Amino acid sequence: MNGEKSNTIVRVKSYDPVLLFGVMALVGLGLVMVYSASSALALKNFGSDIFFVKRQFIFFLVGVLVLIVTRHIPFRSYYPLAYPFLGITLLLLGLVHAPGLGHTAGGATRWLNLGFVSFQPSEAARVVFVMYLAYSMTKKHSLMNQFTVGVVPHLLVAGIVCALLMSQPDFGSSVLLCAVTGIMLFAGGARIKHLLLLVLSIIPLAVFFVVGSEYRLRRMMAVWDPWSCAQDAGYQVVHSLMAFGTGGIVGTGVGNSYQKLFYLPEPHTDFIFSVLGEEMGLWGVLVVVILYGLVIWRGLVIARQVPDTFGSYLATGITATLGLQACTNMAVTMGLLPTKGLTLPFISYGGTSLVINMAAVGILINIASYKGPREVRAVRRKKAMETKERGRK
Amino acid sequence: MKCNDQKKMSTRLKLVSLFFALFMGVIIARAVHLQVLQHSFLSEAAQRQFVRQYETAPRRGVIYDAMHRELAVTLDVVSIAARPSRIAGKDEAALAIAAALGEEPARMIERLDNERPFVWLARNISPSLAERVRDLGIKGLEFTPSARRFYPNRTLAGQVMGFCGVDGHGLEGLEFRFDDELFGEFSRWTVLRDALGKSFAADRPAPLPKAGNDLVLTLDRTVQTITEDALAEAVEKNQGKSGLALVLVPQTGAILAMAQYPFMNPNDFSAAGSDQRRNRAVTDTYEPGSTTKIFMAAAALESGLVSAKDSFYCENGQFRVGRKTVKDVHPYDTLTLEGIITHSSNIGAIKVGQRIGRKTLYNTLKDFGFGARTGVDCPGEARGLLSAPETWSEIDAAAIAFGQGFAVTPLQLVAAVGALANDGLLMRPRLVQAVTDSRGRLVKSFAPEPVRQVVSASTAQKVLDMMALVNTDGTGSLARLEGYSSGGKTGTAQKVSNTGGYAKGKYVASFVGVAPMERPSIAVIVVVDEPRRSIYGGTVAGPAFKKISEKTLQYLEIMPKSSADGPITACSFSGDPI
Repeated sequence: MNGEKSNTIVRVKSYDPVLLFGVMALVGLGLVMVYSASSALALKNFGSDIFFVKRQFIFFLVGVLVLIVTRHIPFRSYYPLAYPFLGITLLLLGLVHAPGLGHTAGGATRWLNLGFVSFQPSEAARVVFVMYLAYSMTKKHSLMNQFTVGVVPHLLVAGIVCALLMSQPDFGSSVLLCAVTGIMLFAGGARIKHLLLLVLSIIPLAVFFVVGSEYRLRRMMAVWDPWSCAQDAGYQVVHSLMAFGTGGIVGTGVGNSYQKLFYLPEPHTDFIFSVLGEEMGLWGVLVVVILYGLVIWRGLVIARQVPDTFGSYLATGITATLGLQACTNMAVTMGLLPTKGLTLPFISYGGTSLVINMAAVGILINIASYKGPREVRAVRRKKAMETKERGRK
Repeated sequence: MKCNDQKKMSTRLKLVSLFFALFMGVIIARAVHLQVLQHSFLSEAAQRQFVRQYETAPRRGVIYDAMHRELAVTLDVVSIAARPSRIAGKDEAALAIAAALGEEPARMIERLDNERPFVWLARNISPSLAERVRDLGIKGLEFTPSARRFYPNRTLAGQVMGFCGVDGHGLEGLEFRFDDELFGEFSRWTVLRDALGKSFAADRPAPLPKAGNDLVLTLDRTVQTITEDALAEAVEKNQGKSGLALVLVPQTGAILAMAQYPFMNPNDFSAAGSDQRRNRAVTDTYEPGSTTKIFMAAAALESGLVSAKDSFYCENGQFRVGRKTVKDVHPYDTLTLEGIITHSSNIGAIKVGQRIGRKTLYNTLKDFGFGARTGVDCPGEARGLLSAPETWSEIDAAAIAFGQGFAVTPLQLVAAVGALANDGLLMRPRLVQAVTDSRGRLVKSFAPEPVRQVVSASTAQKVLDMMALVNTDGTGSLARLEGYSSGGKTGTAQKVSNTGGYAKGKYVASFVGVAPMERPSIAVIVVVDEPRRSIYGGTVAGPAFKKISEKTLQYLEIMPKSSADGPITACSFSGDPI
C-alpha cells in the first residue's frame, strides 16, 4: 500500500444524495419502461404481461440490498481481492462454454445457468476488471508513464478478458472494456503517446473482428445508411429511428409505443431507449440523458475528490463503465453507432446487469464517503452553520 | 510529486468529464434531429408500417327499364390465381382444376407449368364454379372475390347504357352520367397491425359499403328491341353505314327507345370502335334535310303570313339562288304549302322561307330546340348548328328552309316533332325517370318537364295534318301504318364532305313521324347514314318507321283504327268517334 492512509482521511456518513437520486430515478424509469416495452412480448411468449417486469422488480430489490451492503464495505477491502476476483471472473467467463452450465440465447452464450436464476458473468467482469485495473495502476502508480510497466501488463489482462468475451461472442462488452481501459489509463497518467499507440494497435484488431464476421460488417454498414438495408441489417436501427421520430417532442404517452409491438426485436433490453423515446418524446430523452449526466458528473467528482489513488481509479473505472455503456447504447439506438448488444444500465431489462450496476453504485457511494481535508473542513463549516441556524430558531 | 500527480489526474478527469459532456451533447443533438426535425418523415414511415388501409368497394346500382326489367346488373365473381411454386403435383392439380372448370386440361397444365410466381387460372367466374375448384383443396391457389358489371341483354341499348372501367366507374353512357348515383360509397377503415401482422385496436367490425342507387329508365326493353330490329333491317337492307332510331312519348318527353346500329355489347366494349361506343343519337349531328320543312311550315303558319292552302310557284323544278341552282326531284309548277310538304319541294320551301323572312324562320327553329342542348340525361350531348340569321347568305337562307346548312341531333329532331304532336308544347326528352336506393325506396324522380310552347295548338294541328298527307298522298307512302293513322316527313340530306361542300353520292336518309294522328302516342325518328341501295328517306327509313310504330303501338295497347266504319270505334249520340 502506498501509505496514503493518513489521518487526513475522514469518513463521513453519506449516501451522496445526488448520485443516489440519479440512479434511483433511472431505475424507477427503467421499471416503468420495462413493463411498457415488454408487456406485449411477455404476453405473447409467457402468457403474462408482467413476466419481465416482475423479475426486474425482484432484481431491483436485490440490487437495493446489494447497494446497501457495498456502500458499507470500505472500498479498500477490494484492494487485496483484485486478483482473486479476476481469477474467479475469468473462470466464470470460461464456464459459460461448459455444457450444462452455459445458456445460449440470441446466438450468444452469455449466461450461466445457476438453476434458479441465470447469471451473466460478462456483466460482473466489467466491474471486476475495473477493480483489477485500479489495483494494478495504484501499485504501479509512479511508473504509469512507462509503456512497459504502465500500459502493457494492463493491456495483456484486458486482452485475455476480451478474448473470453469474444468467444461468447460479446463484441460490445469487449469494445466497452477496451474503451474503459483506455479512459482509466488516461486518467491514471499514461502518456498520450502510448495511448494513441494503443488505439492504433486496437484498430486493426477491431477491423479484423468486424470484417471477419458477416453480421458485424453488415451492422457497421447499416450505420451509414440503415434505410438501404431496412429489411435486414438496418432493420433494428430503422425501427428504432421510427420510434424516436414518432415520439416527437412530447411522445405518444407511456404504453403507446407501436415499435415495441414486435417491430423492435429487443424492445425491453437493447432498444428500450427507443421505446422510451417514442412514448416520452424528446423530454423523456432529455431527462434520461440529464440523469446519466448527473451520475457521471458525480462519479467523476468523487474520483477527483477521494484522497486515495485506488479509490480514485476505482471511481473513475466504475463511472466510465456506466457512462460509456449508457452513452453507447443511446448512440446505437439513434443510429450513431453500429448495433452492439449493449444494454442501457439501470433501465434495460436484465437482472445481472441491474444488480451489478447497483453494487457498483454502492461502491461509488462508499468511495464518496471518504473525504480529504479540504472537503472535511467544508463539511464541518457547513454543519456548524446549520447548527447555528437551528440555534437561532 | 504526489501533488503533481493529483493535479495531473484531476486535469485528466476533467477531460474525461468533457468527453462525456460532448458525447451526451451529440446524443441530445441527435435526439432533436430525430424527434423534432425528422419527426414527420419518421412517424409517417412508421405509420406506413403499422397502419393498413382497407376499403371495400360498394355494389354498383342496377339499371332498370321502365317496366323494372334489369338492363345492367353487378354480379359477384371470383378470380382464381395460382402460385405454381407452391403447388405440389402440378399435372394432377391442373387436371383436377380443368375438370372442375370444364376447360381443356392441356391449357391448364401449360398455365401451371410456369416459372412465374403468380398466374391467373380463371378470371371473373361465377362463385359456384370457383367453389368447385376450392373444394379440390389444392394448396397454392388464391381466390379473389370481386364484382363485375354485366349487361344481361347484351347489345340492347348498349350505347345508352355505356360501360364501366376496371375500377368500377362508368366510362360512357348512363353508367358515366349517373356514376355518382350508381357507384355508392366505399367503406374505408384502418387497421393497426403489429409486426407479426396481427391487428390490434380494431375490434369493431368492418363497416359495410353503401351500395349504389338504382336507375329506373323511361326506356322500355320491348320497344327498344322492336326499334333495334327494325333499324338493323333498314340499315342492312339499304347497305347503309349506320343508323339511329328513337321513340319518344310526345306528352312526357320520355324516351322509349334509343337505338344505334351497329350495336355495341357493353360486356365487351373494348371490341367496339369509338363510333360504335358513343351514343350518337345525342352526340352526333347531321344536316336534317327535308324533315325541316315541317318546322318551316309551322313557322309560316304561326306567323300568319301563309296559310296551308296558299300557292307558291315552284319554277318547274329549277331555281337559281345567287350563283347556285336548286332542283326538285320532281318538277312542279305551283304547289300549296300543304303540297310543298307532301311532295317535299325544295323550291317551294325556299319560296315560303322568303315569304316569312329569315328572322321568323330562325326564331321558330330555335324555339323548337335546334342549336341548343335538349338537356337529356346522356353525356356528351351536342348543341347542333344553327347560326344567327344575320350571318346567313342568300343561299344559306334558302338552304336552311329545306334543311341543309344547319345541323341537328336526331334527338333534337324527334323532340321537336314531339312538340308538334303535343299541341305545340316542347318537352325535355329524358331517359331516367327515377333513382331508387338499393332497397327500392325512391331517392328522386324526374317528372316530365315542359320546355316552352313553341307554336299554338292550332298551328301544330295544321302541321300534323300536312304530315298525315305525306303518308297518305306524298313521299311517305311506305311509312303508312296499317291499322293506325300516321303522319311524318321524309328527309334526304346531302352529307357535308370533309373537304367542304357536299359529298357526292353520300346521303342521310331519314323519316320522322308520329302516330296515331288522333292523339299521337309516339314520335319516332329513323336515320340511316349513307344508304346505298336507295337514298330516299321515304324508301330507306319509311318502312322502319312503319314497323317500329305499328309494333310499339300494339305493345302499348293503343287501340287500332281498323277502318272508318270499324266495329271497335265507339260512337257518341252525335255519331262522332270519341
